[in-house]
Amino acid sequence: MLFVNRTQRFARRVVLFVTLVVLLPLVSQAQTFQTERGHAEFRSEVPLHSFTGTSENLVGQIDLMDHTVDFYIDLNTLKTGIGKRDKDMKKTLDTDQYPFAEFFGQLVTPFDTNSHAVQPAIVRGEFKIHGITKQVEITGSLQKTADGIRVQAAWELDLDDYDIEPPSLLIVKVNPIQDIQIDALLSPVPVALGQ
Amino acid sequence: MTLRSLLLTLLLVSVSTPLLAQIPRQRAVTNEPAEIFWAPTLVHTSTVTNLPRKNLNFTIMHAFGVVSNGVEDLFGLDGAANIRFGLDYGVTDRLSIGFGRSRFDKLYDFRFKANLLRQTTSNSVPLDVAIKGDVGINTIKNGFDFNDRLSYLAAVMVARKFSDKLSLQVTPMFSHFNTVFILRGADGEIIEEENDHIAVAVGGRFLLSERWGLVAEYIPVIGSRSDDTNDTLSLGLEVETGGHVFQLFFTTSQWMTEQHTIARNADDFFNGDIRWGFNVNRVFGGH
Repeated sequence: MLFVNRTQRFARRVVLFVTLVVLLPLVSQAQTFQTERGHAEFRSEVPLHSFTGTSENLVGQIDLMDHTVDFYIDLNTLKTGIGKRDKDMKKTLDTDQYPFAEFFGQLVTPFDTNSHAVQPAIVRGEFKIHGITKQVEITGSLQKTADGIRVQAAWELDLDDYDIEPPSLLIVKVNPIQDIQIDALLSPVPVALGQ
Repeated sequence: MTLRSLLLTLLLVSVSTPLLAQIPRQRAVTNEPAEIFWAPTLVHTSTVTNLPRKNLNFTIMHAFGVVSNGVEDLFGLDGAANIRFGLDYGVTDRLSIGFGRSRFDKLYDFRFKANLLRQTTSNSVPLDVAIKGDVGINTIKNGFDFNDRLSYLAAVMVARKFSDKLSLQVTPMFSHFNTVFILRGADGEIIEEENDHIAVAVGGRFLLSERWGLVAEYIPVIGSRSDDTNDTLSLGLEVETGGHVFQLFFTTSQWMTEQHTIARNADDFFNGDIRWGFNVNRVFGGH
């Protein structure tokens, strides 16, 4: 009789374990939002002139359960509208060796998933480009929409912080302070795909 | 905590931990148009390279007198030079329009270039094919009617980037001049010009480094041609500085538009009729 009770207790634990193993990822993935087609852009300035580089290949993920925020972009997808300038930009960023600009951190402000209003958001974490990682805090906004979560953020990037030598146009150097913006709609990760 | 509970906890943690992991970083798969040449012009002939939408290209083309004039003419620099200023604008990424003005014949020319096929970086499209049309208007004061002043070019450019260093282009061309002349040469011979010419230009670039390249261009006329004209050969260096593309070359012809280069070049590279010239290309982006 004692043996039967122990067997039943073990069986219950196994059922509980299996249930948790199966359900935990499902619960988590319901809180996960991703995109592979986000918009990112930078704006560079030289005296009397400025240009913008854009990409529609921003990849990102927000997990509302553990508050992780993860974004990266293949820098080779940035286009400024002039092929030669793109080539120089890739050389400046050394994209063969360091192809990605990436952020990984935590959402430190609350986000109400029941509201469809634009909500201010702050993330803290590591931003990495040109092989150098710095701790950053970025301010932006989150908005729950019918299709997922819209993320918008803007911040300044100092090329000097990442040992990136600002390129020259004629004899004037590009301002090392670059205005960065991202805009992405992250879709909920389908449960079936997330397993 | 029993051993079994500990194992359960470890298993649960191990299952949930991957959710905290970063997205695996993957390079974007792109299939973009290959950069076959740096500039819209090789030496005399247009390349398949077109301007991106809303980009403006300013071109200065310059060819001096023949080097064989010697030091007295500072190897051609004192000689009569032809110069063309041109502007081209990218209407779309595949269509550009432009105009230019050359000193010889006080020629204004209006042109377009359109890419029908673009070689891709993945080689899913292995060739670049573009067409070009050009209309030249001779504005010398000579009493001619407007129609008599016109010359035309139609060209098909077929190019391929074979490697990071080597790009080649073949360009069948047809030129037509509304007005041609029958002249008497210095020795009394009759020099008769033709209205129409067909040529098949071959050209290419071999990169020596990221910024320097060797360029060559040969424009043989196929079939009948105007008397006392020769094929054009050019050899040079190409320099890409980021904002500008400079082409520094030795060439036979002083003419800047293809229809004139085909139909009017009287010089012979292998007979010492070599002149120094350069092209400067500067792109302004509207992005």
